[in-house]
Amino acid sequence: MNLASLLSKERINLELKPNKKNKVIEDLVYSVKKGSDAELIVSTLLKREELGSTGIGKGIAIPHCRSLAVSKLEIAVGRTTKPINFNAIDKKPVSLIFLIIAPPQDPGNQYLITLGKIVQIAKELTKKDLLHKPETPDEFISLINEIEKDLKKRK
Amino acid sequence: MSRDVTAMHLKLLFDLDTLLSDLQTPVYKKIGFKINSQEQRALLRTREDLLKKLPPEMAEIYERLRKRYTQAIAPVENGFCFGCFQKLPTELLTRSEEINTCPNCGRILYWPSS
Repeated sequence: MNLASLLSKERINLELKPNKKNKVIEDLVYSVKKGSDAELIVSTLLKREELGSTGIGKGIAIPHCRSLAVSKLEIAVGRTTKPINFNAIDKKPVSLIFLIIAPPQDPGNQYLITLGKIVQIAKELTKKDLLHKPETPDEFISLINEIEKDLKKRK
Repeated sequence: MSRDVTAMHLKLLFDLDTLLSDLQTPVYKKIGFKINSQEQRALLRTREDLLKKLPPEMAEIYERLRKRYTQAIAPVENGFCFGCFQKLPTELLTRSEEINTCPNCGRILYWPSS
């Protein structure tokens, strides 16, 4: 499974308006779903955030959940034009957000595998200081692709 | 209570149960997100509150199905119940305002929007 293949440029917003954490999550969810389905997803994501921030540190957050409101794995990416408070574990503000929503029925555990992979890629992005490098969604997808290939080589 | 509110509470309850169950899986634990155990207990209380908001007979059905199948609600995809993968009768093929159950496995049916 390749993360770059799950990304679509329509769902990558590299000029996300900085706002409160919950509003940013909401904006990203609405790029995937609308109406009551979106409300359900936002509610579940916020419940997950209550358990502990998904801000994994060094400027990256990965809000995630499984929800009845989606029938396949959905990913959206947002980069805020200014870092925002996400109550991240290192207490530092966040600017890159990977949103991942999976259906409850998840053959092959694709959700958790993808989640683990995003964490791995996010760490590479911060290690190589690449968070702000891509300027377009296409460049972002290419970068993720390169990192994935690099990680595969190292295995 | 209106059907819409009941349906929303059911879906929230289901998503919450899925979340709580994911937290227990070794794969999730291995990823390494930090979970606040006090908040986790608070979430269990939220779950109980949601259950109390449902009509008692619906709460009973939900809990019975959850014990039996783990996932009490199944999405309807391409005319199939995605709980038991049986073809549904014609009257259950489209999104319904009613709360319906699968005639084969009994799971509560949910129609995701496209």
